[in-house]
Amino acid sequence: MTSGPYNYSYIFKYIIIGDMGVGKSCLLHQFTDKKFMADCPHTIGVEFGTRIIEVAGQKIKLQIWDTAGQERFRAVTRSYYRGAAGALMVYDITRRSTYNHLSSWLTDTRNLTNPSTVIFLIGNKSDLDGQRDVTYEEAKQFADENGLMFVEASAKTGQNVEEAFLETAKKIYQSIQDGRLDLNAAESGVQHKPASPGRPLAAPPASRDNCTC
Amino acid sequence: MPSSDSEDFESADEGQEENDKKVRKKRTSSSNYGDNALETISEPKETIKSSARHQTDSKPKSDGWDDFDIDCPIENEKVVENKEMKKCNVSKSKEDIKSQDTGWDDFDDWGNEETLIKTTEQKQQEVKSDKDIKELTDKLAASTVQSSSWGWGWGVDSLLSSATAGITSITSQVSQGISNVLETGIGAPDPEELARKNLKATAEVTEKHPDRNVNDDKEVVKEAAQTSSDDVSFPFGSLLSGVTKFVETTGTKVIAGGLDTLETIGKKTMEVLQDGDPGLAKKRAMLGLDPGEKPVLSQILREAKAKADEEDKIREEKREAKEVHYENLFDDFEGLVHLEALEMLSKQVSMRIEERLRAADPEKKQDIKETMQQVIELCEIPEDEDDEETSEDQSKPDAFHEKLQIATQDLGLKLQFQSLVKQYTDILDFLSSNDSMNEKVIYKRAVSSLAQATALSVEIYHKTAEMLLVKTRRSTADEADALTQMTVVLTKHISELATLFTVKLNSIASGNKDQINNYITNIFLESGNSSTYIQNAFQLTLPILQIGAV
Repeated sequence: MTSGPYNYSYIFKYIIIGDMGVGKSCLLHQFTDKKFMADCPHTIGVEFGTRIIEVAGQKIKLQIWDTAGQERFRAVTRSYYRGAAGALMVYDITRRSTYNHLSSWLTDTRNLTNPSTVIFLIGNKSDLDGQRDVTYEEAKQFADENGLMFVEASAKTGQNVEEAFLETAKKIYQSIQDGRLDLNAAESGVQHKPASPGRPLAAPPASRDNCTC
Repeated sequence: MPSSDSEDFESADEGQEENDKKVRKKRTSSSNYGDNALETISEPKETIKSSARHQTDSKPKSDGWDDFDIDCPIENEKVVENKEMKKCNVSKSKEDIKSQDTGWDDFDDWGNEETLIKTTEQKQQEVKSDKDIKELTDKLAASTVQSSSWGWGWGVDSLLSSATAGITSITSQVSQGISNVLETGIGAPDPEELARKNLKATAEVTEKHPDRNVNDDKEVVKEAAQTSSDDVSFPFGSLLSGVTKFVETTGTKVIAGGLDTLETIGKKTMEVLQDGDPGLAKKRAMLGLDPGEKPVLSQILREAKAKADEEDKIREEKREAKEVHYENLFDDFEGLVHLEALEMLSKQVSMRIEERLRAADPEKKQDIKETMQQVIELCEIPEDEDDEETSEDQSKPDAFHEKLQIATQDLGLKLQFQSLVKQYTDILDFLSSNDSMNEKVIYKRAVSSLAQATALSVEIYHKTAEMLLVKTRRSTADEADALTQMTVVLTKHISELATLFTVKLNSIASGNKDQINNYITNIFLESGNSSTYIQNAFQLTLPILQIGAV
C-alpha cells in the first residue's frame, strides 16, 4: 500500500466559513487545483473539495466543505459544522466589515463544533495590500486573544494558502497524537453512517470496501 | 620477542605507573592521533589504532553486543579468512541495525556486498593458522563472558573501523593485528584484563609464528589497553567520525562472504538482539519467528520474498478491485459527501419540525401531522408510468434533459442538470464508438458511469434541498410532485444506462462468456444500488418538503 488514491490513514473534515465574497471558494480552488478562479460563482449551500496531503508520513485526505457566505444560507450552512476537525475562518483584508463579522463566525464555530476543532483565521486577498482595510497587527491580536492560528493569504497568488491548510492539518494531527482529540468522541458527535467520509476520525478506507474484493 | 611481550604485559597489567605516563603523554595529543601512530608503528597500524580508539569511544553505550561478538568467532572456527569476512559482515549488519529500525530489510544488501569483497579479502589475506585464532578467541570469549555488557555502539564502531582496516590492509601482519585488536576490543571490559589476555594470546600466536612481527601486535594491544583505560577522555564526536570514516573509506568495496556466513550472523544477531533488546521480540514476532526456534537467514529471505510477491499480487488485485469498486467511485464523484450533507440537513430540519410539533397546541399538532402525512403520500413513486416516447428529431441526452426540466418545472428552482446530461452524452459516444473494446473496459466504464450518474443525482437532491430551505415562498404540493417526477426520471435513467452497457457487453463476439455474464450481473446489481441511493436521497429530502408546509 504505497500509492493510489485510497491509501490514506485519516480523513479530516474542514469547513471554510466567512462572509460572502471574501474568497472562500477561491482559496479552496487554489489549494485543490493550484489555480485561481477569477470569477467564482456564488456558492449554493456547500461545495466540496478534496486533497490528499501528508503529515508526519501519514497520508491524510482533506475533505473540505466550502460553505456559502450569503446570509440567506446561514441556517443551511450551520448544519454542516458538525464533525469538522478544522475550521478555516476567512475575512477580506480590504473590507473591514468582513473582519468585524468574525466574532459572529467564531461564536457559530465554537457552538457547533468540538472543543478540539482547530480554527485557523485567514486574512485573504493579501495581494491587494494597497487597498488594505485591516492591519495585520490587529488581526493577529484578535487571533491571539481567541487562540486561533492566523495567516494573511492570497488565493490569487497562492501565497500562504498551502500553509494555512497544511498547518491546520498538522495541528489536528498533533491533537490526535496528544490524545486531545478523541477519535471516538468525535465520531459519536457526527454521523451514524459508518461508511461516510468527511469525518475527523481514523477511518482507514479499508473499512469501507467490504464487497467486490 | 616473547620476552618483550612479557614486559609489555607487565606494564599493562601491574606496572601502571610507568605505562600511565606513557599513556598520558599520548593522550594529550589524542585529537591528533596520527602523530602517535607514526611514532610507534607503520602506516596501516594507524587504522588499527583508531579502531581501538573508536572502540573505547562508544563504550558507554551498552546493549549486549559483546555476546554476539564473542559467540560469533566461537561458533565459526573455520578459517581466519572467513572470520575476517564475518567481522566485516557483522560490522555492516550492526551499522544497519543501528542506523535504521528496520535494519532487517537490508539482509539482501549484505549478501550482495559480501561477494564483492570476498575477492579483496582473499587477495589481501595470507593463510593463517586457524588454531591460533581459535585459541585466542576462546580465551577472549571466556574473558568477556564473565564481564558485564558493553555498548553495542562500541562494538559497531570498532567493527566498522576494523572492517575498513581489513579492507585497506596489505600485509598479513596487519591483518593479524586487526583481528587481535578486534578480539581485544570486543572482549575487553577491563583494560587490565584485556591487556593481559591479549598479550597472552599474542604471545601464543607469536610462539607458533616466530616469523611474525610481534611488535606490531604488541603495539596494537597496548594501544587498545591504553585507550580502554582512558576512554572517558575521548570526545564523543570521534564516534561519528569513525562511522563517517567507515562509510567514506569503505565505499563500494565493502563486504564479502557466502550465504552460510550470513546465515550464521543473522541467526546470531537475532539471538543477541533478542536477548539485549526486548523490543525486538516484537520485530521477531513480526517476522513470524518463534523465540525458541533459530531463524535461518536464507529462509527469512525466501519467506520475505514470497511475502513481498504475495503482497504485490494482493495489492494489484485490490487496486483492480478498487478501480471498479462502486462505493469508492461514488465517493470519488462526491456522491457520498453530498449524501452526508443532505443527511445532516435532513436531520436538522426534522429536529426543527419536532420542535414545532412540541410547541404546537394539541389541535394544531394533529393538523401538522396530517399535513406531513400528505406530503409523504404525495411523494410516493407511482407504480407504473407509461414510457412517453421520445420524439425522433431529438437526441437522447436532449430528451433526457427535457424530461428533467418538465418534471421539475413546478419546483420553482433553477436546477442544473448539465453535468448529468453531459455525462449521458459521453457514455453514448463511448458506446457507439467503433474502437474494439474488451469486456473489462466496458465493465469498468459501466460501473464508473453508474456511480457518477448516481453521485450527480444525489448532488441534485442536495442542492434542491438547500435551495428549498432558502426559498421564500413554498408550495409544498408542487414541490413534492416535482421531486417525485424527478426521481422517476432519474431512476429510469439509471436503468437505461445499465441496459446500454449490458447490451454492449452482449454484443462482444469474442471474449469469455462466463466473465461477460458475471459482469452483466454486476452491472444490474450496481444499477440497483444506484436506484437505492437515489431513493434514499429523495427520502432525505422529505423533511425539507414537509417543513415548508408546517
